[in-house]
Amino acid sequence: MFINYEHNNHVYNVTIEHRDKYFFITYDNTEYKVEAEETKPGQIKIKIGDRFIKSIITEGEKEKYVFVDGEVFRVKPIELTGRKKQKKKEEGDLTSPISGKVVSIKVKKGDSVKKGDVLMVIEAMKMEYLIRAPFKGKVKKINFKEKDQIEIGQETVDLIKT
Amino acid sequence: MDIIESNIDKTNKEYKENFKHYEKLVKDLKGNIAISQKGGGEEKIKLHKSRNKMLVRERIDILLDQDTPFMEFNTLAAHGMYNNKAPCAGIITGIGLIHGREVVIVANDATVTGGTYYPMTVKKHLRAQQIALENNLPCIYLVDSGGAFLPMQDEVFPDREHFGRIFYNQAIMSSKNIPQISSVMGSCTAGGAYVPAMSDETIIVKGTGTIFLGGPPLVKAATGEEVTSENLGGADVHCRKSGVSDHYAHDDPEAIHITRNIVENLNRPEKTHLDIKKPKEPLYDVKEIYGIIPKDSRKPFSVREIIARIVDGSKFHEFKTLYGETIVCGFANIMGYPVGILANDGVLFSESALKGTHFIEMCCQRKIPLVFLQNITGFMVGSKYEAGGIAKDGAKMVSAVATANVPKFTVIIAGSFGAGNYGMCGRAYEPRQLWMWPNARISVMGGEQAANVLLTVKKDQLWRKGKELTKEEEKAITDPILKKYEQEGNPYYSTARIWDDGIIDPVDTRTVLGLGISASLNAPIPDWKPGVFRM
Repeated sequence: MFINYEHNNHVYNVTIEHRDKYFFITYDNTEYKVEAEETKPGQIKIKIGDRFIKSIITEGEKEKYVFVDGEVFRVKPIELTGRKKQKKKEEGDLTSPISGKVVSIKVKKGDSVKKGDVLMVIEAMKMEYLIRAPFKGKVKKINFKEKDQIEIGQETVDLIKT
Repeated sequence: MDIIESNIDKTNKEYKENFKHYEKLVKDLKGNIAISQKGGGEEKIKLHKSRNKMLVRERIDILLDQDTPFMEFNTLAAHGMYNNKAPCAGIITGIGLIHGREVVIVANDATVTGGTYYPMTVKKHLRAQQIALENNLPCIYLVDSGGAFLPMQDEVFPDREHFGRIFYNQAIMSSKNIPQISSVMGSCTAGGAYVPAMSDETIIVKGTGTIFLGGPPLVKAATGEEVTSENLGGADVHCRKSGVSDHYAHDDPEAIHITRNIVENLNRPEKTHLDIKKPKEPLYDVKEIYGIIPKDSRKPFSVREIIARIVDGSKFHEFKTLYGETIVCGFANIMGYPVGILANDGVLFSESALKGTHFIEMCCQRKIPLVFLQNITGFMVGSKYEAGGIAKDGAKMVSAVATANVPKFTVIIAGSFGAGNYGMCGRAYEPRQLWMWPNARISVMGGEQAANVLLTVKKDQLWRKGKELTKEEEKAITDPILKKYEQEGNPYYSTARIWDDGIIDPVDTRTVLGLGISASLNAPIPDWKPGVFRM
């Protein structure tokens, strides 16, 4: 497990491995063999080599306060997991996503439409698929009529950007 | 891991309507469950208590560790069946904790027709045993039953999955070191007598518990001997003379106490190790699912919005995002446990099936439990797809699902139709647990499609004879089919017949999956041995 935390504006990268009853903590290319036990919630007892450390940890809103031998360390974990997903397909397109039947047409030739308006409804495999206007525009031509069979990838409506 | 970004508009009219509609579905569900949990009604409850017996739910309550959850199965079994005379099918089953270890509980409710076994009672009992067997969980039977429900003997006694299977399962489980423990807290007559007799360890309550193959009336008729129930098969007979029971209790609480002592000494093996993280709530309000699921089941919705409300921290490491887009696959944690999720986002095409198969292969190799979020209207049909080999690609996915070595969990979050149900780990594919949401629908195909198929067949027959159907005649054929599919596709119809383990409020999905995965870790995960994939 990798842990990254910040203390006094310095970022520490630490690796922790739990084997048998020991924690092997690697920091700055040095491995420390540690025994640790949570004696009470928030209180831990740590043994490093022949040194015993007792510590109390309290949780702040974003950071932890670690009390050791009368000293307080403010420690802030850093999440390195920030990659947010790109929004999928910002704009729909005007081709049919599936082979099916045109069940209804919501616009006529010459209509002005807003982005997101439903132009056509296609039904296939027990589901309805809505064809929405990907941009503000004017309907130039409707390529199908109700009850027509439509194939995947066929252009449903010709729309001119306005 | 990456965070799923939600794109819902809560001010949208549709969202609000969906939300309101779903709140009603959940309210109905809770109402139905509450009625079912009352058991056999006030009069029967009064009579039961007057015999110094605790109610079945009170018994379970003190049996389990304090303030720990009881994951109940099939609360709505037999719902709407047997003239509504068998709430919960007269038996309570579920997984709970005793001394920190998970066990399966099977407890008769004597307020429901004397705890006798209707066909669905048998099915529910066997289902609980199957759960115990698959997850390696000790079985605790709180017995209080008059045996088979005699008027329906042809549906409970003779077949492979009928009454006899209960004792077969006990023997098989005992042989696999899955402890079988009975606490006899009422009658245990005829076939029922084998439940304690087949157990590893048995407790009996003085005064109320009786075990015998034939009760006093039968004994009198057969041999002329007159004897009281207590002298025929009470606690003293079985603990001091016959040796059918091992422990003597003076009342229900003492029997429960002894049961807990037995479990305390079972020496259960360590659970399977998984890389468990600290559980974290999703970033988004789980209840928003109510507004996301469309009121009209034909309208699609984005399943990533659902995943974002089920997994820890809404974090999801998605696999093959841009390929076979109609199935969403990825890794996440649920209540800290690592899982591989497969969720439908449209009809299954060849590419989607191949992607699903690849993903299942990885989970099997890495020993990561699988979660299927099922909303599937089927595999794509049509000449283009048949020629493209969709049947063999679907078969690969079905094969991977069937042979998967890891625990599988299925939640039917909307539609479950046709072969899609198989590829997405329907009941026949032995998910450890299968849950339904109250909006779910399940049938071999949609009602309209079935009606049209049957109508076409009929028309072809008549056409050969030179006849045609009028519009009214057509309606007379299609209407009953539409009605039948609507009724039978309903989740209550499914859950009454134990095609699933229960209907749950979507809000509880995380908890239910977490408990299920936790229980599954009592059994080891073997190495994966796939079958032959048709290439």
